[in-house]
Amino acid sequence: MEKTSFSINEGKPIRCKAAVCRKAGEALVIEEIQVDPPQAYEVRIKILCTSLCHTDVTFWKIDSGPLARFPRILGHEAVGVVESIGENVEGFKQGDVVLPVFHPQCEECKDCKSSKSNWCARFADEFFSNTRRYGMASRFKDSSGEDIHHFLFVSSFTEYTVVDIAHLVKISHDIPVDKACLLSCGVSTGVGAAWKVADVEEGSTVAIFGLGAVGLAVAEGARLRGAAKIIGIDLNPDKFELGKKFGFTDFVNPTLCGEKKISEVIKEMTGGGVDYSFECVGLASLLSEAFISTRTGSGKTIMLGMGKHAAPISLASFDLLKGRSICGSMFGGLKSKLDIPILVDHYLKKELNLDSFITHELDFEEINKAFDLLEEGRSLRCILWMDKQ
Amino acid sequence: MENGNTSGDKSSVKPIRCKAAVSRKAGEPLIMEEIVVAPPQPYEVRIRIICTALCYSDITFWKLQVPPACFPRILGHEAIGLIPVQVEELRVVESVGENVKEVVEGDTVLPTFMSDCGDCADCKSHKSNLCSKFPFKVSPYMPRYEDSSRFTDLNGNTLFHFLNVSSFSEYTVLDVANVVKIDSSIPPSRACLLSCGVSTGVGAAWETAKVEKGSTVVIFGLGSIGLAVAEGARLCGASRIIGVDINPAKFQIGKKFGVNEFVNSKTCENKRVSEVINEMTCGGADYCFECVGSSSLVQEAYACCRKGWGKTITLGVDKPGSQICLDSFDVLHHGKTLVGSMFGGLKAKTHIPILLKYYLDNELELDKFVTHEMKFEDINDAFQLLIEGKCIRCVLWMG
Repeated sequence: MEKTSFSINEGKPIRCKAAVCRKAGEALVIEEIQVDPPQAYEVRIKILCTSLCHTDVTFWKIDSGPLARFPRILGHEAVGVVESIGENVEGFKQGDVVLPVFHPQCEECKDCKSSKSNWCARFADEFFSNTRRYGMASRFKDSSGEDIHHFLFVSSFTEYTVVDIAHLVKISHDIPVDKACLLSCGVSTGVGAAWKVADVEEGSTVAIFGLGAVGLAVAEGARLRGAAKIIGIDLNPDKFELGKKFGFTDFVNPTLCGEKKISEVIKEMTGGGVDYSFECVGLASLLSEAFISTRTGSGKTIMLGMGKHAAPISLASFDLLKGRSICGSMFGGLKSKLDIPILVDHYLKKELNLDSFITHELDFEEINKAFDLLEEGRSLRCILWMDKQ
Repeated sequence: MENGNTSGDKSSVKPIRCKAAVSRKAGEPLIMEEIVVAPPQPYEVRIRIICTALCYSDITFWKLQVPPACFPRILGHEAIGLIPVQVEELRVVESVGENVKEVVEGDTVLPTFMSDCGDCADCKSHKSNLCSKFPFKVSPYMPRYEDSSRFTDLNGNTLFHFLNVSSFSEYTVLDVANVVKIDSSIPPSRACLLSCGVSTGVGAAWETAKVEKGSTVVIFGLGSIGLAVAEGARLCGASRIIGVDINPAKFQIGKKFGVNEFVNSKTCENKRVSEVINEMTCGGADYCFECVGSSSLVQEAYACCRKGWGKTITLGVDKPGSQICLDSFDVLHHGKTLVGSMFGGLKAKTHIPILLKYYLDNELELDKFVTHEMKFEDINDAFQLLIEGKCIRCVLWMG
């Protein structure tokens, strides 16, 4: 990445390509857009590659209510290079390799200063503005001059995007960018959940409901922690072959359980229940099953899946009273700026397996095929390359 | 599971006749009767109760008309007893069954409803206090032998056990997993409190929540358990201990236990109590404890523990079959933990002696929990006092 080519556009809008969502559930349209220069506390990034996460699909389909916004640039798992920085930006310069992250870290609030959680009291409560500090102001305009909405403070389905520094992490140049891209959302969420949220210890037993990228990443995290038994639950038996690469010791297909509930099967397999269960689909009924699959006295359930319908979760009081706990987590409990570099380091030391998550690679223009692959359950992570390398 | 028939030499084992307060019908006064208490089987001990205290869980199962309630039953589970040495007709009356090594005649013991076999994977794990050899259930019988009771009335009919203890009787039989030997010099009306209520509350703050110095704590329900949580939180150095109750009288009482702020949930105007708490604490408490046993209150408590690291702990025993409903978005996004706990997460045999030591060292205060002391025969008056919220712990002394 030559710095000189970046200085040409500094302070000016950039015209580039983006995949714009104009109607819920319809194919994204590759269009020419304009990306304004970064304001104070913002950074403009040239995206190198981006991958599709199920949350993109969930929001792509929303056709009504306040969360349905059009036109919008989706995408939130990506890797890029800093093209230019706004005022008051420290720690980032042109040419830096960076990961945009949907989960904020202001580094100044009480929560950011505490090691107890990755909540950010300043920013984490607010999801749907276009920019962190400027409300609904947008940095994107389409060819008719209309504003295009951002998504989760990232918007990576575009050649250039503008991201607030609270959502940006600088990483090493040494990691291949397509592997790094995975750490900007899905894999970090899963690995973090096993490490930070559950704190899986050696010899533990773990059950993972839903073997998408997040579920498999939980398994990878649990494997690295020395879990003795990692049980994967999924309706799609193809996931089991794939799952073997991630350290699963057992698989349960709920459609083959007959009269038995999944939790009963798991309790039988583990002499009373697992130490940790993870719900990685986003279904309230599955979360209840995951909850009673844990052993009484010490069982912990972690909710990671984000469902569209947001049905209430129902737990039996007595099941809870008997010493079980439940908690949810965003981004695997990780503080992005501190923890992503650690994960990068684990990858470089060949401790963390990222390669197995990438099942497909396409050019950015073929982005709609990536949606099909994910919807059909045929892909884990499909990397979309911006420039043909 | 063995069936509990004695295999020993019949000439040296004898049943004992004694008084008990028998619950024969749901919600009706207990009847003082003479009953027969069988000798202990292997792994059991028969103890003489010194005194016993009334806990709200006794009332819950006394009132309940459906299983796991059952009648006739000997209730009571918070107590202190002695393993007696008795000589009758020149024979020693057995108090200690075969294979019992950890206690002997003459020992003072606390019966505990929480089993601690010391042997199973969960008893061996520091993470859990729920024994898997004797899983918790509200059973009519002794834990080790199937369908086996040690009590009969004078007509020979079986009387059911309660929570492995059944302390509303001059004598009872316990499995060794439910017995903790303690220092006999501790005043019995104080020590007995650690066999359930105070341990549950103090343990919840100390062990389940691990309240740190400087924390903000909210306690829903200022009964004995809630007040014990306050005592535990005080010992842990919490700086704000906010009590929530509908009975304003509890506020004055709470001050003795370290509660320093109060919210009367009946007088919050149009606001939910969780909104009031969120305002008072600028975003929620570090720890919220539910000490009533109501799913809607658990939901309120969850709504006012702080995002990021907030923890809500449920201790209250709700009606069988009750459900807690939580908002998916709230659970997923805000990083809060909801955890339930029995007996404060404590392992009876490991932790009760530690709490007794804190009492002897004048750190843990127990005296303030005992508001009434009565004779065992007045047990029905004790029930009324507790139902009306007019006592904390009422200790009943055996004759």
